[in-house]
Amino acid sequence: MSENIERRRFLKSAGMCSLMLTPLAGCSVKEDADSAHKPHYCMVFDQNKCVGCGDCKTACNQANNLPEGISRVILEQQSGRVEGQSCPHCSKMVCDCERKFVRVSCQQCKNAPCVTVCPTGAAHRDPKTGIVTMDASKCAGCKYCIGACPYNARLINDNTDVADNCDFCLHSKLSHGELPACVQSCKYDALIFGDANDPQSYVSRLLAVKDSVRIKPQFGTEPSLRYIPIVKQGV
Amino acid sequence: MDTSMEFTLGLSQGVAWPWPIAVYLFFAGISGGALTIALALRFYLGQVENTAFLKAATLLSFVTISLGMLCLVLDLTNPLFFWRILVFYNLNSVMSIGVIALSVYIPLVAVVALLALEKELMAIPQLKFLAPIITKLKGFRRPIEVLVLVLALSVCAYTGFLISALIRFPLINTSVLPALFIASGLSAGGASAKMIAVWLFKEPLHSGEMKLLHGAEWPIMFAEAMFIFMIATALLTGNAGDQYAFAAFHEGVWAIVFWIGVVGIGFAGPLLLNFATSKHFSHSSRAFYMSGMCAVVGMMCLRLFILLAGQNYAI
Repeated sequence: MSENIERRRFLKSAGMCSLMLTPLAGCSVKEDADSAHKPHYCMVFDQNKCVGCGDCKTACNQANNLPEGISRVILEQQSGRVEGQSCPHCSKMVCDCERKFVRVSCQQCKNAPCVTVCPTGAAHRDPKTGIVTMDASKCAGCKYCIGACPYNARLINDNTDVADNCDFCLHSKLSHGELPACVQSCKYDALIFGDANDPQSYVSRLLAVKDSVRIKPQFGTEPSLRYIPIVKQGV
Repeated sequence: MDTSMEFTLGLSQGVAWPWPIAVYLFFAGISGGALTIALALRFYLGQVENTAFLKAATLLSFVTISLGMLCLVLDLTNPLFFWRILVFYNLNSVMSIGVIALSVYIPLVAVVALLALEKELMAIPQLKFLAPIITKLKGFRRPIEVLVLVLALSVCAYTGFLISALIRFPLINTSVLPALFIASGLSAGGASAKMIAVWLFKEPLHSGEMKLLHGAEWPIMFAEAMFIFMIATALLTGNAGDQYAFAAFHEGVWAIVFWIGVVGIGFAGPLLLNFATSKHFSHSSRAFYMSGMCAVVGMMCLRLFILLAGQNYAI
């Protein structure tokens, strides 16, 4: 602040500031009471640990009563090959490509396009947990959310004819105090789930020490799924 | 760390919005475009009588928007769920705002059509019961028409805003789209209303009103071509994702639809029919209908191209 400010002007501004801040003080008290603890549920996929067994898909299918062969999570194999077939990465029959898998599922965006475009509010954010989920009784099946999702991570559930997404098993497991089905089923600890707003949670401590990336961050969707990529190139 | 991760698989196969949605965009554009031109002309010329063109435009507008709604409902995963879209609203959603606009627009188009076609409807004995309703509505005719003009333009633009919200597709996710859809709706809507006015309501081919409409055709078509050119250059000179989507203009079956349907039939067709033929032919009713059909086919191809080619090039 300038040194030669006049006393009168200083007192005037001080008065103005206090007038402006008084009502704000009231707001902040109320806000504190509301947000005692707002969780931010995050999932971390560790590519170094995933072997591509697909147990997560089976567990997802069973936990959420999905049609046969359908799950809200799939795995993309980015290199490595099936015996007897050429490598999808280098197209050679014999190669040293590593088997890399990537989890493909709803990225649980903080700024979710599906929630914005949904005309009925069926795709919504659960107020208590902040998780993007579906109210199947409101969905009209217009598929706007499917086109709007930058990750193509939403699907139509043929049992219910409405849109579906991975909501961390909010209704089937999380509400019973259990971990999401895929996390429970992973034998290799490739999936870590927890509240990133709780500094003591394992997921918070893991994200604090590990480099993780998000998919397509340029869309500004702020996904809650984090990926720990394989960076090792050779011996 | 300079590592990033990508996946290319998705949980949904194929396009989210198939061709019936393109047909819906087409019908909504024709409906809004025809009515905008007819009402703008009515206000501009200060007409009070029911002209053949107004009759044609209101009838066409009501029929096309109803067919459009049918396409929309049939494309839902379960058409019986359509009531949910009318009961639950989300004002952040372009579609929800469109539903509100359409649920005002469609009944008002019916009213405008009822008033414009009064003589024709009263000639049918079974419809005599409408007479007191028409008399009552006549008092509100001007305000209803003004509101319908605004809504007709909004419906045209809405179809553009609706799909331009899909951020994954560079060809679709452009701010020019609503303007392009207004321009193409005006040109095809005007052309089809003209054809119906001449064919069904016996408007003379060379009346003063028709001459005015023929003259308006070219600037609208020029605007349409310019908007398409703007989208193409923006993609060509854009970032990697945009440049990838530019391939829609020169690769695959939708590029053929674009060059033959949109450019060949939609733009070159009417131009050649009007300026490259003898004066005798270009003033004939055959040339009139052919050139009108060209505009309509061109618009349908444009909607198909934007929606389906657009969804094929995701980033």
